[in-house]
Amino acid sequence: MAGGPKALPSTGPHSLRDMPHPLAGSSSEEAVGGDSTPSPDLLMARSFGDKDLILPNGGTPAGTSSPASSSSLLNRLQLDDDIDGETRDLFVIVDDPKKHVCTMETYITYRITTKSTRVEFDLPEYSVRRRYQDFDWLRSKLEESQPTHLIPPLPEKFVVKGVVDRFSEEFVETRRKALDKFLKRITDHPVLSFNEHFNVFLTAKDLNAYKKQGIALLTRMGESVKHVTGGYKLRTRPLEFAAIGDYLDTFALKLGTIDRIAQRIIKEEIEYLVELREYGPVYSTWSALEGELAEPLEGVSACIGNCSTALEELTDDMTEDFLPVLREYILYSDSMKSVLKKRDQVQAEYEAKLEAVALRKEDRPKVPADVEKCQDRMECFNADLKADMERWQNNKRQDFRQLLMGMADKNIQYYEKCLMAWESIIPLLQEKQEAK
Amino acid sequence: MEQAPRDPERQLQPAPLEPLGCPDAGLGAAVGKEAAGAGEEDSGVDTMTHNNFWLKKIEISVSEAEKRTGRNAMNMQETYTAYLIETRSVEHTDGQSVLTDSLWRRYSEFELLRNYLLVYYPHIVVPPLPEKRAEFVWHKLSADNMDPDFVERRRIGLENFLLRIASHPILCRDKIFYLFLTQEGNWKETVNETGFQLKADSRLKALNATFRVKNPDKRFTDLKHYSDELQSVISHLLRVRARVADRLYGVYKVHGNYGRVFSEWSAIEKEMGDGLQSAGHHMDVYASSIDDILEDEEHYADQLKEYLFYAEALRAVCRKHELMQYDLEMAAQDLASKKQQCEELATGTVRTFSLKGMTTKLFGQETPEQREARIKVLEEQINEGEQQLKSKNLEGREFVKNAWADIKLCSHADQYVQKGNSSLDQC
Repeated sequence: MAGGPKALPSTGPHSLRDMPHPLAGSSSEEAVGGDSTPSPDLLMARSFGDKDLILPNGGTPAGTSSPASSSSLLNRLQLDDDIDGETRDLFVIVDDPKKHVCTMETYITYRITTKSTRVEFDLPEYSVRRRYQDFDWLRSKLEESQPTHLIPPLPEKFVVKGVVDRFSEEFVETRRKALDKFLKRITDHPVLSFNEHFNVFLTAKDLNAYKKQGIALLTRMGESVKHVTGGYKLRTRPLEFAAIGDYLDTFALKLGTIDRIAQRIIKEEIEYLVELREYGPVYSTWSALEGELAEPLEGVSACIGNCSTALEELTDDMTEDFLPVLREYILYSDSMKSVLKKRDQVQAEYEAKLEAVALRKEDRPKVPADVEKCQDRMECFNADLKADMERWQNNKRQDFRQLLMGMADKNIQYYEKCLMAWESIIPLLQEKQEAK
Repeated sequence: MEQAPRDPERQLQPAPLEPLGCPDAGLGAAVGKEAAGAGEEDSGVDTMTHNNFWLKKIEISVSEAEKRTGRNAMNMQETYTAYLIETRSVEHTDGQSVLTDSLWRRYSEFELLRNYLLVYYPHIVVPPLPEKRAEFVWHKLSADNMDPDFVERRRIGLENFLLRIASHPILCRDKIFYLFLTQEGNWKETVNETGFQLKADSRLKALNATFRVKNPDKRFTDLKHYSDELQSVISHLLRVRARVADRLYGVYKVHGNYGRVFSEWSAIEKEMGDGLQSAGHHMDVYASSIDDILEDEEHYADQLKEYLFYAEALRAVCRKHELMQYDLEMAAQDLASKKQQCEELATGTVRTFSLKGMTTKLFGQETPEQREARIKVLEEQINEGEQQLKSKNLEGREFVKNAWADIKLCSHADQYVQKGNSSLDQC
């Protein structure tokens, strides 16, 4: 488990239909395996379809769900020689939220579509429906079964009823995006993506049956899990892990501050919007008093109206696209810090046992088996964690690049809309001046 | 032609200056110059010079502002701003301008000039002054009269005021105005000596008092309504604009908070460090850009305020008409009742109930001599009344004619283009 396969390359935001045939020539491989970062607005796009399918490190999966294209995809993938020696062979999409009204409760399910050539999957394609609880279950299982790895965060479980409408379009869409991200991060992970619970989650028709069965599974695994949560205390964290811990602390703190500032900005922008919505119509009132000036004044009123609409779009985008990512990374940091603590536990256990052996002062040539096992476990944990951290850092850079550029782009678009609105009334005003 | 002069002193030609090509007789001529005079109320010396005779001869500018301390009427220390007014006469031949006069005036002196003009030229829409105190402020800081930006905008407003008076065919010839530009010391005393405060109609101060006028000139009534509504809508506009500016300021300034946190974040990152640092810097720049943006917008607000004050001045003229008409109608009524009284006395019939009639019945009739005396008094009063009525009628008609001409002078719609252009900058 140590080391593990390298991070998957970014394939760029091309639809596979646009990609040249792999056998067409060497230049085509660069088109497929390039390191281009996708343009930020693809992340922000709200329409379903190819644009949504940006993976954390920039790859895109197959386009549509029609059998013809997926088989051609598989053809290409089988013949394709990836630069890093890796082939993308698993694609997962979360979409199509639907509301279910039952006697006991109302809830939302999402469609999970999986396409894969991996042997672990019996069929090349699956489509199942899952609700948030199922995702929550999956995450717990992953945490249990892969304690040495960083498990991606889920969007928050609880929402304050009355403040947030759980069934509003915006809320559901925000959640869907986060759930999609969650699965894609797992898909990208060289170890987690092969996890059997993950497989079942993606494929099983009846997940609940499996969940019940899984309790038995838990008892068998219980032993190793218990070990990880044993009550040993570590004296000092090794430097490199201490550095990671400090980094995560500061990182989460800064993100928290940015989140608060962003919320404050949105609040101020909304208050500005309220005033603008009163301001524009006053020009209309004035225009009703006037003769020659009526048209230009009405024009100004309409112009301000357009600016108001543009501002509203900006604040919506910030709320729906910017804030959730910040929060996701804060949750991520928190879960990562727990993993660090677990690692400390494993090291502590090892050191304790080692000390115990040393204290026994027996002249044994070799270290007892269980101490060796502890050492192994610790070294595996360290290796897994380091690999995951590096992967996480890369993905984090990509994600934030997209996020911040997206924010900048949205702001630019807002100003461009305003500029256009004002420029459109210049001719109206100039014509009046010339008439004089 | 101005109103029948009640005070010969105030109406003088500005002697030392060049003879005006300006109309010197007959209102008709002044009205005829409407085309030449129109458009003069724009800000900026350029648009004014080429259309008006007066300004070809002289240039007026309020070129500087200075903070001063002195003692006020109550002998207390006060700080105020003085403005330098420079007058230049332009030589025909080489177009060179020579500084002829230069003096310092403070805002209260401008106010005095305007109040004087309001009284002596009631039918003229007297150009407005920039506001006395900063109103419609969007940020607490701007309420300070000593704020350099406020002082600068006021300087421009005062210059416009003087230029507009100078370009007005009637007002430009006023002696007090001339002295305002040329005689630094003693000017206040000179103005007060005209006794204009006594002539001021105190009823004008009661803006909302209604006077039941039976036959007002409909044009004036309509105009008064228009100016009321215009004032109302522009005030509303200015208030909301101030709130909009306030909120916009908040939005920009909160972005400034990003500056620090991005900088702190960049410290813990390797590859991302430079980018984040740069982002933080740009957020700081963004946050500080709002100050200039909003300062520019103040100029737009100033133009709106000009409209507001002009509407006020317009309303004042309409009001004066109303009051005049009211006085006229009252005088006519009074005359009619006196005539009736006279008739009753002469014929001995009492048609209407009167105190005199009652007392006569109670205490006996008066002697024929007494009656004669009273009839005589009444007849005199009637005569006076008729004279008054005639002159009031004349006055009223003159007023209406002059005022309407002046209103025509003011009405032009191309200032809004400037307004529109400055709105663009705010975007």
